[in-house]
Amino acid sequence: MIASFDAIEVLLALCLTGSAFVCLFDRHLIRACCFFVVFAVSMVLAWWQLGAPWLAAAELLLGVMLTSPCFFYALGHLSPGASAPLKRDQFSEPWSRVAMRVVLALVWFVMVGAAIRFVIADMVYSPAEHPLLLAGVLIAATALAAFALHRHLFRRLLAFNLLGSGVFILLSGVAGSSAAAQALISVGLLVAWLGSMLGALLIRQLMHLEGVEALGRDGEPKESTT
Amino acid sequence: MITLLLALALLWPFGVMGHAVWLAYRAPESQRDYFSVLWLSAAWPSLLLAYVGEAQWTMDAWMLGGEWELNSLSRPWLAFTALLWSLAAVHARGYFAAEQAQAQRGDQDAQRRLLRLALLWPLTLLGNVLLIIAQDIASFYLGFAVMTFAAYALVVHTGTQEARLGAKAYLILAVLGEGLILGGFLWSAGAADTLMLQGVRESIVSAEHGVWMAALLCLGFGVKAGVIGLHVWLPLAHPAAPAPASAVLSGVMIKAGLLGWISVLPLGHAQVSGALAQFGHWMLVAGLAAAFAAAVYGVFQRHPKAVLAYSSISQMGMMTALVAMGLVAPDVWPLLWPGLVLFAAHHALAKGSLFMGTSISEHLPRWPQPLIWALLALPGISLAGAIGAGLVSKWGVKAPLYEMHHESLIKLLSWAAVGTAALVSAALWRQWQQRHQGGSNREQWGAWLVAVIAALLTPLWLPLPAGSIEMPPLKEWLGIMWPFPVGVLFAAVGWLVTRPLTGKTLPAGDLWWFYAFVVGSVLVPIRAFGHCCGRLKSASVVTTQKAEETLMGHLTRLLSGESWLRHHTSGLMMMLAVLLAALLMWEGQR
Amino acid sequence: MIWRFGLFDSTFAPLATTHWALLVALVFPLLLGVLGALFPPKRAFPVALASLPVLASGVMLLSAFDQSGLLSWQWEIAGLILSLRLNGLSVLLLLTTQCIGVAAALYTPGYLRLSETGPLARWLWPLMGVVLSALSLIWLATDLLTLYIALELMGLAAVGMLMLSGKAPALLAGMRYLLLALVGSLTYLLGIALILGHWGRLDLQGLAKVIEPGPVAWFAAALIGAGLALKAALFPLHAWLTPVHENAWTPVSALHAGLVIKASLFMLLQLWSILLPDTFYAPRVIAWLGLLAIVWGGLLAWRTDSLKTLVASSTVAQLGYLMVAFPLLLGPDIAPLPRALAWEGFWLQLVGHAFAKAAMFMAAGNLILATGEHTLKGLAGTSRRLPLSLLVFGIASITLMGLPPSSGFTAKWMLLQAMIITQQWWAVAALLTGTLLTAAYVFRMFRYSFDETAPRHRYQPLAPGMDLIALTLALIAFALGLLAHFPLELMHGGSP
Repeated sequence: MIASFDAIEVLLALCLTGSAFVCLFDRHLIRACCFFVVFAVSMVLAWWQLGAPWLAAAELLLGVMLTSPCFFYALGHLSPGASAPLKRDQFSEPWSRVAMRVVLALVWFVMVGAAIRFVIADMVYSPAEHPLLLAGVLIAATALAAFALHRHLFRRLLAFNLLGSGVFILLSGVAGSSAAAQALISVGLLVAWLGSMLGALLIRQLMHLEGVEALGRDGEPKESTT
Repeated sequence: MITLLLALALLWPFGVMGHAVWLAYRAPESQRDYFSVLWLSAAWPSLLLAYVGEAQWTMDAWMLGGEWELNSLSRPWLAFTALLWSLAAVHARGYFAAEQAQAQRGDQDAQRRLLRLALLWPLTLLGNVLLIIAQDIASFYLGFAVMTFAAYALVVHTGTQEARLGAKAYLILAVLGEGLILGGFLWSAGAADTLMLQGVRESIVSAEHGVWMAALLCLGFGVKAGVIGLHVWLPLAHPAAPAPASAVLSGVMIKAGLLGWISVLPLGHAQVSGALAQFGHWMLVAGLAAAFAAAVYGVFQRHPKAVLAYSSISQMGMMTALVAMGLVAPDVWPLLWPGLVLFAAHHALAKGSLFMGTSISEHLPRWPQPLIWALLALPGISLAGAIGAGLVSKWGVKAPLYEMHHESLIKLLSWAAVGTAALVSAALWRQWQQRHQGGSNREQWGAWLVAVIAALLTPLWLPLPAGSIEMPPLKEWLGIMWPFPVGVLFAAVGWLVTRPLTGKTLPAGDLWWFYAFVVGSVLVPIRAFGHCCGRLKSASVVTTQKAEETLMGHLTRLLSGESWLRHHTSGLMMMLAVLLAALLMWEGQR
Repeated sequence: MIWRFGLFDSTFAPLATTHWALLVALVFPLLLGVLGALFPPKRAFPVALASLPVLASGVMLLSAFDQSGLLSWQWEIAGLILSLRLNGLSVLLLLTTQCIGVAAALYTPGYLRLSETGPLARWLWPLMGVVLSALSLIWLATDLLTLYIALELMGLAAVGMLMLSGKAPALLAGMRYLLLALVGSLTYLLGIALILGHWGRLDLQGLAKVIEPGPVAWFAAALIGAGLALKAALFPLHAWLTPVHENAWTPVSALHAGLVIKASLFMLLQLWSILLPDTFYAPRVIAWLGLLAIVWGGLLAWRTDSLKTLVASSTVAQLGYLMVAFPLLLGPDIAPLPRALAWEGFWLQLVGHAFAKAAMFMAAGNLILATGEHTLKGLAGTSRRLPLSLLVFGIASITLMGLPPSSGFTAKWMLLQAMIITQQWWAVAALLTGTLLTAAYVFRMFRYSFDETAPRHRYQPLAPGMDLIALTLALIAFALGLLAHFPLELMHGGSP
């Protein structure tokens, strides 16, 4: 019984991690979006699995049904005609930056992992008993690093959403399904949806005003002179 | 009553100045009378004040506490000062008649000059009156400074090259003198914690460094009184100044230096220290040296006013010697000072009339020539002590010296009088050489005539203490009169001897040229140093500008790091979290 | 240290009127904002009328605190405990928020009328209301859930406000701010997750009692610190601030620079004093970063060409002063006197800076609005035409420079005294350097404005009162130095 549950959890964790990775690192933006839907659906299942049906419903409503369309809207697939839909992320980063972010992601993974090890004492002995928690740590660390790495605003928005989901999994993992945790997560989900909606609107407006290039112009000197 | 008169005497010149200003801005050009009767009357209240009587005023509200006095010394002093100022003013009205006509025709330059003179003449007078009645340091110094600096306008009036040189010499030495006086006053007043001139006198007697205070003050006033070495402005300023200005400069303003000495030195004080007596000896020597050297140098001058200026130096040298006697032999002073005042008053009027006479000889009226020249010579003869007031004043100083057995000084003074005689004859001779006919007017010769008469009759109108001056007994007349013919003879012989030597005459201002040379050669390295500093400055400015540019370039490049920070904000946040966590763990594990 | 936040020992139950005052203070800004969106006010007087109850509620809470000292509220909803408390510090910050909020609201109608603001203008009112309500909630809340909700509300509303101008640079800067703010809150949430997981509670009173130094507290403190530092624009994480203000509307900038970033700092200090009461190095790291912030912000402000960047960069530097005070507030073995001085200096500096910066932004906004120029060079000739705006700028600068007798001076004087007593000479040096740099950039601005050579053709006339509102704020900042005993008395918080 326990083993089968474990297997489901492991499967879910793998599914979450895999879709998150594709979502974070695929330059093909529509595909990344599709994988975000997959990720959100897995999250719904994971909440169900963790015994938080209320959260599962919230995730289904906010994550799958509201946030995902925001992304497609941002890509220009829901309101055709206004401006050309976004296809691929054309911006490239220097190697040093990528390496730095990888190191940061690893360090964060270790740090958050260590912190959780202190919160839940038996993590030390059997980390495999909490596959979802592990997936949460991994997703959070990777998403944050990806957020720091990417220049494309759309991908940063995606990374932020994944970071949020990772943090929520962690939260429910360490705090169980107490009322406080559920309240925090629900607020977080709401904020993530609002933020994504605002971000999507902004991306469309920026595309409309300045074109695709504007999405990658983060912190370049010419921007500060305007 | 007398207080009202005092207020009138001090405020009247202000009214005159106000009238001059009003005139300059309100009256039409062609009707501007710069030398109106009001202007002439500037000194009259003061003259009246001198004859009203003795009085004393104390005013705590005035500056540092004022104390003014009309006493036996200041009354005669004020009398001859105010008289000469009045006469010179009248003379000026005649003297500047031509210039005024020019101004009324619309000459801007003449208007400006006359306005300046009309404004500053009463101010100079005011300073002079104030310093005479003042018994406290602040009023005295204020009056002295006002007189000194306002008189600059009188010297520089014509604006010619010579006038500007004379004014420059006057101003340089005046500033030097003011500095010395101020230093001396501050020192002595500080030492004795006093604000009165009486306190300064006591301070000089009692203080440890009294002799140095005395030296500072003496040199400071000596600038005005023409002490040898500091006299150089006199022969430069007088020929360049207008005749009435020269008259007051040489007549009364240099007497202000003398009054300064009398006011601050403890003359006749019983406990004069050895050092002060020694200082008195030096003063005596300096005075006699001035008396003789000025006479010898002065007779070779071309300009009659320069000759007269040297005569003033010579006369002031004699007075210096007499003042010095107050330190050297204090017991003679109570007897001597009325004679000295008479001497000063007589010299003032006589020198005043002589200077006015120079303008007469330049514009001779249509009178019989011998009469004119006799009148021109009269004050000179009197000055040499041969007739009139000169005779009386000579006796006035000789008698006390006889009484106290200072025969050698008397002899020296007599020989100095020979120099005076030679100088006045030389001056008359130069006037004769440079005479011009016509162009004189009533005010000019009227004031001159009154001045001559006043000079000859000085003892009659001077309000000296009763019985302090008497006529010399008949047997002494020869002893007093002999220097005059000897002096004239010397002058004639000298002229005959030096006539073949037709070289350049000695320049007026003697030591001035030496000073100028010394200062000039000192200035050369200083100027070079200044240039060097200037070059250094410009070089450092250039370097600093370059450094600033470089620095700003670096700064701008550094600040472009802001966009790097903006780009990496999230990465930096991750690092900050890691750093804080590591630090806390490390600290906790210790 | 933590007692100063007034988490314990409330003796009296709040009266009914106080309940109402609290409700008005928290909800009215929100309602008025919605009303403003429905019927956008065209003049200042309806705004003034509407803000009266808000101000009255602040005064009532002040008098309630005066009478009964510390007050606290607690509600339990479906297993969640929400709690608020009212101590002197919260009253002070609440009053500051209301004053600046009302000033910004009064300033807004004139500003919107004079500048081409577009159709989004009516959204400003509800967003402003949300920000003010959320700020009031942050000053009062004592449980992590309420704090989180308020922080998120405030952050999202602030982002919305800042982007209303709708220009591309504003959108870009706003997008960056949005993403960073959200990530910052998530980092904060991660820290909260650790706390919740380990101690199982979110109320600060309970946490203050149970938390002991340990790895969980440290990790949580590190995560919370990093997240809130990002939101509070503390030094290396400040770079999003200037472009955001560069393109924002004036009243929005005034609110944001004066209050919004301070809220994160307030939470940071409050949570760290619970989590890290006795650590030595972490506050010092913040202080060293503060040192750099003072220099860096000063240099940025000194070299910039844009007036708004100057004002925004000066915020970075002024936050540095607050950061430098951290080791005096947190850490082991600090004598009571320097700690008390640092505490009072810290909050006085925060409040004084809030007023002064709001005034400065308004003055800068007035100058920009009147001249139509965003650069310092465009200010040429304003000394004659816009003397009042320059005067306001000058008075606000006096506070920022810390010249007597402004509140900046009093605050810096207290901090300086505390630093000298504890012999932190580098902090003293930082304070003095900051003053010099402040003087440098302020006088640079004034030099441009007193340039009379450039002929100016046209000035847009300002609406009546726009300068007066700014002047009032600047004078409050100035007078807080003279009347410092009022805020200082409030700051003592509960009883020791």
